[in-house]
Amino acid sequence: MRSRWFVEAKSVVSEVRQRTLARPLPHGRGSVGARVSQRFSRICLALALMLAVAAAAATRPRYGGTLRVEMRESQPSPEVFGVPKGFVLTSWEAGRRAVFAADENAPGGRPFLDAVEIQMARSLRDQSVDLELGKTDIVELSPTELRRQMAGRRVWSSSPVRLMALVFGPRIADARVREALALAVDRSAIHSVLLQKQGEISGALLPQWITGYAFVFAAGADVAKAQALVAGLSPADRTFSLAVEDPANRGIADRIQLNARDAHLTVSVVPSTLNADARLVEMRIAFADAPHALASVAAAFGLNEPPNARNPEEQYAAERAMLDGFRVIPLFHLPDVYGAGPRVQGGPVITPLGEWRFDSLWVEERP
Amino acid sequence: MTFRTRLLLIFAVAVAAAVGMVELIVSNRAREAFESMEARRVNAIVAQFHKEFERKGKEIVGTVQGIAESATAGEIAISPDPGQYSSEAGTLATNRLDLLELVAGDGAIVSSAQWPARFGYKEEWLLSEPDWQSRPAFLKSEELPDAVTLALVAVRTVAVGDMKLYVAGGRVLDSEFIASLVAPEGMRVLLYRNLAPAFSPADLIDANGPTGSAALLRPLVEQVEKQGRDGLLTIGRGASAETFHALPLKGRENDVLGVLLIGNSRHDLVELEASMLWTAVIVAVIGILMAIVVGWWATARITRPVQRLAESAGRVAAGNWGATVEVASKDEIGQLARAFNRMTHELVEQRDRLVQAERVAAWRELARRLAHELKNPLFPLQITVENMQRARDRYPEQFDEVFREGTSTLLAELSNLKQIIGRFSDFAKMPAPEMQPVNLNDLVTDTMRLFEAQLAKAGIRASAQLDAALRPVRADPEQMTRVLRNLVLNAVDAMPEGGTLTVRTVALGAGVRLEVSDTGQGLTPEECERLFTPYYTTKTHGTGLGLAIVQSVVSDHKGRISVESEKGKGTTFRIDLV
Repeated sequence: MRSRWFVEAKSVVSEVRQRTLARPLPHGRGSVGARVSQRFSRICLALALMLAVAAAAATRPRYGGTLRVEMRESQPSPEVFGVPKGFVLTSWEAGRRAVFAADENAPGGRPFLDAVEIQMARSLRDQSVDLELGKTDIVELSPTELRRQMAGRRVWSSSPVRLMALVFGPRIADARVREALALAVDRSAIHSVLLQKQGEISGALLPQWITGYAFVFAAGADVAKAQALVAGLSPADRTFSLAVEDPANRGIADRIQLNARDAHLTVSVVPSTLNADARLVEMRIAFADAPHALASVAAAFGLNEPPNARNPEEQYAAERAMLDGFRVIPLFHLPDVYGAGPRVQGGPVITPLGEWRFDSLWVEERP
Repeated sequence: MTFRTRLLLIFAVAVAAAVGMVELIVSNRAREAFESMEARRVNAIVAQFHKEFERKGKEIVGTVQGIAESATAGEIAISPDPGQYSSEAGTLATNRLDLLELVAGDGAIVSSAQWPARFGYKEEWLLSEPDWQSRPAFLKSEELPDAVTLALVAVRTVAVGDMKLYVAGGRVLDSEFIASLVAPEGMRVLLYRNLAPAFSPADLIDANGPTGSAALLRPLVEQVEKQGRDGLLTIGRGASAETFHALPLKGRENDVLGVLLIGNSRHDLVELEASMLWTAVIVAVIGILMAIVVGWWATARITRPVQRLAESAGRVAAGNWGATVEVASKDEIGQLARAFNRMTHELVEQRDRLVQAERVAAWRELARRLAHELKNPLFPLQITVENMQRARDRYPEQFDEVFREGTSTLLAELSNLKQIIGRFSDFAKMPAPEMQPVNLNDLVTDTMRLFEAQLAKAGIRASAQLDAALRPVRADPEQMTRVLRNLVLNAVDAMPEGGTLTVRTVALGAGVRLEVSDTGQGLTPEECERLFTPYYTTKTHGTGLGLAIVQSVVSDHKGRISVESEKGKGTTFRIDLV
């Protein structure tokens, strides 16, 4: 209610500004200066308006303030992190904290927010707790958090811009083992239950929305075939370790371990600190064009750089070649999902590509 | 071993045997009582286990029932998208159950608390039971991500219209469960979870986790697994011995999923037995000491008269036939003493009578000998005198001649009488020996030289076999010469047809031996026995005093004389002197 009233008051003020005020008001301040050009009626109107605006000023939120954001990732440098549009970097603690201030000379005008404070390397669980306790304003949401109802929480999600995949190290030399695992993983069950149907099941490196042919890559499970592939291998050859980079994905790794067992593979899930035979990783696809995106994936996973594709067919062939040998087993393409607390106004917070959009936000602060 | 020592030993052995027997009986009784008590304790702990099992089962059923009746379960049952409840089991089970699975009507796991990654997998066994609502909790082998465990499980269903949800929850039978079974002092409870195909020591746990007794209990566990029946085994030795009763724990399909082992330490029994043994030993030692003291006193009372009897008997044996025993009791020993006294009294009387009789006999023998010896010279005397009387009366002219011959004969016979009387006188007046070192070889040589002519005349060959190593002995040389002469004369008399006389000296370890052998007709054993009796002779002439004198001399020299003879081969007299 208060928010709606505030918007209405703002429109009235804008109208008054257009009609009666000679100079613009400082952003976020909301003061009114009046210049009577008419006589009594106008004086009365002006007085009424002054009273209304004074009343509104007493109760309305103020623009500005600091937006607190938490994220899982831990960026080493501001260049990698990127500076949100309309802001300038004022403080940087590598891997921990970044503070951005509103750029008074931003091309599209000064953002509503005075500053954005970003806390890095926060687990999804901690982020949820902090949001719940009002310690932060914007957090990343895990699929399970999505299901949980929370008063005043708003959710924004991007396109599937993160690739979740299994990446094998050099020790697992037998491609049959890698292929068997690819065939054993029940992506559908993981997608339905653990990911709460967020994102897409995929056997491709690049998401469907970028390439248009991702569906061609098989992503179904075939346990019988997986068993047949490793039937002749010794138990030692069928045993390997799987590291999970993000503890939030431990459940997915456990499910993969269980699926692998059905295929007579013995997988032990270990922390990412150990030198494992395979890793369950997530990577952000930062480019919307396929060649650049594929090159970035190849670079991230240590694969050979794909040839520069001139058409979709070449692009498909390049991606197919990268997947041959099952060194990388794509599992899902996942969106970035953010939740905002009740203090946050405006939005959306991210673009379809998952980029921050803080310039359209402001936080509601009580006087 | 003396009679007294023997009696003491018998007393001690009897006491020790009695104590040992008592100890054995008490030990057996104690063992029986202990084993009976142990059986009762085992039954109690088994009953307690069943009760605890039942209580836990009811508790689990109640919890599972509560979850099944919860709004969440109903919501999951009717949800078209149960995938969103994948973590619900963990939430519902928190602090209440170790295991909880929410399973859809088709058997697919919706959510698993113990293995969250198993969503979507089928639990076919849930579909095989038509009615879970009335079933109590049961044992089940439950697979976990990293192991298999044994659990007490209950299943309840949620039915909303056509939709169905199985709620299967339970508690793991682990060390905590065992710790909840309060075992009496000295007992412990172990649980073997039959989770692996072969015996796994890690699956044998007690209240503190895997137990170190696994290897020892393996045969018992395997026996119970195989037979499906109770088993019994004692492990260890001595105070560390422990008796285990094993009970099979069966699952829903009557398969042995676990074995409950109730161990009862035999420490108390062994301690009790040891205590009894020590008590018995102490009692036995005290008993033996008391037996020795009392036995000493008692045996003294018993053996003192016996000892006195023995001493008296010894005195009797030594010749004091008048020895008697003081009689102080009326028991068997007293009777024995009295009998002994009567016996010695009789012996003395008999000896006196015998001595008297022998004395009379000796006098008679002496009289007979004297009569015989005197009669022989007297008869010529009488004849000579009568001839002289007759010649004087009838033939006076021949009287002188007769008188001359007669007086000659009379003198000869009187000389003979004098000689006879002299011999008797010598025997009666045997002087005490005058001891001095004597070389028997010289004595033999001198004596044999005296008899050379006589022996040659009798056709007897003399042989002296003298031991050069012979040492001088202390003896009376005159008496010993007399001894040797008597023996030589005896040998000569024994060989009227001639023969060989051998005189031999032999050096003994502690003395010397003198042997005189002949090759005469020899003697019978009866003759040998009486040979040294005075006045006994086998010859037609002689007084029968020669060998008696020999024996008397040898005896005075503390020596020993014996005779060895074989009829027809000769006789050997042997004298040993120290």
